[in-house]
Amino acid sequence: MSETQSNIGLQLVQKMGELTWDRHGPMGVANAKRNLAFRDQGKSLAALRKEQLGEGDTAIVIAAGPSLKRQDPAKTLLERNYKGAIVTTESALLYCLRQGLVPDLTVTLDPHATRIVRWFGDPHLTRESLKADDYFSRQDMDKAFADEMAANQEILSLLNTYGPRIRIALSTSASQAVVDRVLESGMQVYWWNPMFDDPDAPDSITAELQAMNRFPCVNAGGNVGSAAWMMAGEVLGKPKVALTGVDFSYYDETPHRNTQYYKEAVALVGEDNLDQVFIRLFNPHVNAWFYTDPAYMWYRESFLEMARDAEYQTFNCTGGGILFGDAIAVCPLSEFLDKHA
Amino acid sequence: MTSVLKGNFQAAKAVDAKTRAEPDDLESRFEREAMKKLGGSIAYVAKKKVKWAEDDAK
Repeated sequence: MSETQSNIGLQLVQKMGELTWDRHGPMGVANAKRNLAFRDQGKSLAALRKEQLGEGDTAIVIAAGPSLKRQDPAKTLLERNYKGAIVTTESALLYCLRQGLVPDLTVTLDPHATRIVRWFGDPHLTRESLKADDYFSRQDMDKAFADEMAANQEILSLLNTYGPRIRIALSTSASQAVVDRVLESGMQVYWWNPMFDDPDAPDSITAELQAMNRFPCVNAGGNVGSAAWMMAGEVLGKPKVALTGVDFSYYDETPHRNTQYYKEAVALVGEDNLDQVFIRLFNPHVNAWFYTDPAYMWYRESFLEMARDAEYQTFNCTGGGILFGDAIAVCPLSEFLDKHA
Repeated sequence: MTSVLKGNFQAAKAVDAKTRAEPDDLESRFEREAMKKLGGSIAYVAKKKVKWAEDDAK
């Protein structure tokens, strides 16, 4: 398995924008139009610019990549009594709350009708619905989700307790299930539109949405981790943003079956030919190999482009993964805290 | 073009000029299937960051 052998995977990276629109675009737009009815149950994301989240000029993004359980950034932040802003993806909420770390802001983006609500606790989850979708149990993510019914009860309870203390940047593309659960839990809502297309282009869908709901439009970089980074830098205005749990890849020893698109890949190329889909990269900062799929590779390439254009500094403190490049300083979280927090 | 190339014979099988043969190699099949399953959370636009609404107070 090598980068040069992954012809299909690399070719797909170039098409991910188009594929993403086909997969989620119409659903996201439909959600946004439906969520107009909830416009007044929350504020505009623009209001966050006037609020001081965390002390000082730093923010830590916590996403739910495979490094999270190995690096345990919440433990470090608690030990160091970090006072800056903590911005999490919704997928990292359970991890943070279990550790006793209540984030200042969490972000949600994906419009999927049934999966994303699981990060908030799904009040309607049943064993039957779990049998129909092994998305969470199969992947190399938070092992707390391995016992899914128990994990669901836990996050329901935790969010019912801590929800009112947590601000959420709630994408208008979010599903009905997510919106209902967010409102039920008492989280503090800040609405935003994800950029579905160029908001300045003629006949832009994004511009049409903004004209309808008057919410800011944010370039989410294709995924919620990148969106959280954008919130920290562009919305909260933090000049130094550190990333944790932003792997965009899997550890080299991770079985293929524990990856997001395993089933689709096997169905098409067979178990013996999976190397044609996955892309392997060496991370010189941690002296280790990682492998990724076309979607995560697209996130990486998009992130690097956005980071080059950003007016704030980005520090990748993930401790692994494939996100490294000119515009990103890579260092351990403890070193970032020593020097900047 | 089809108006110019008129044959002077009756084809044994009817030909549909709108039908184009789809490549059926491994790569093409994967791409077609991938179209159904792959993709990120949301499409994005490179280079742009945030577009505030006109009435957002700075």
